[in-house]
Amino acid sequence: MVPYEYYVALSGLLMVLGLIGIIIRKNIIAMLLSTELMLNAVNIAFVAFDTKLADVSGQVFVFFILTIAAAEAAVGLGLIMAIYRLRKDVDVNTLTELKL
Amino acid sequence: MELNNVAFWVFSTLAVLSAIGVVFFRNIVYAVLSLISTLIMVSGLFFTMGAELIGALQIIIYAVAIVVFYVLVISTVPEFKGPTVDAGYMLMSIPVGFLIFIELAYVSIYGAWKSNTGMFTPEIVDKMGNVKAVASMLFTKYLFPFEVASVILLVAMIGAIIIGRKEHVIDEEAK
Repeated sequence: MVPYEYYVALSGLLMVLGLIGIIIRKNIIAMLLSTELMLNAVNIAFVAFDTKLADVSGQVFVFFILTIAAAEAAVGLGLIMAIYRLRKDVDVNTLTELKL
Repeated sequence: MELNNVAFWVFSTLAVLSAIGVVFFRNIVYAVLSLISTLIMVSGLFFTMGAELIGALQIIIYAVAIVVFYVLVISTVPEFKGPTVDAGYMLMSIPVGFLIFIELAYVSIYGAWKSNTGMFTPEIVDKMGNVKAVASMLFTKYLFPFEVASVILLVAMIGAIIIGRKEHVIDEEAK
């Protein structure tokens, strides 16, 4: 049996990769993909702690995270479509209307 | 070497490699394909941990439904012409990411929950089966959040339709 610390370490690694992706990518769709990576890292951590504690509450929360991820993808991609229709561009460096 | 052990190392290595692909691929279609690979590998990790219901849901919802959204939007929005990564942010993000990784590792290994125990014992979970245990928890203790999740999905659906809709101006008098 693999110790649960390995799963937690993998979860941390995926979380940091997703964070780096959000920081360095300039394409707004790639940033949304990186948030999906971070959500998956959280899912792995929930299930890993479940196996440690012999509980199933974490898996229920993974179910809710799946629901929220679907809602987030739908609304986020709808926003990307609206932004593209308005500006014909998906570069985050040019989205500066709210900048002072 | 145990089969579970082999499966863990194979799945985790492929998951990390594909995650690196998601972050660094220039072509966004390759990034989405890497994301599918990561999601399937994470689902395999759920199966090695004994969470069959979540592993199956991961494939059905994430690796199929959500990725189809991305592919549809990528086929609508034209190719991104700018640079893949920002070099200045790249230099900054590596030490920050390393620090956050150290912090996550510290908190999760030495966290205050360490002496905690769940409400089931391993024998009960083995006897009931994973799917039954998760479902009984979901429909008793977490019934209200479950209903709220359905409302969230409905609101997200309506919102996505309204945000992504094309403005059609129908001018009746011009006809």
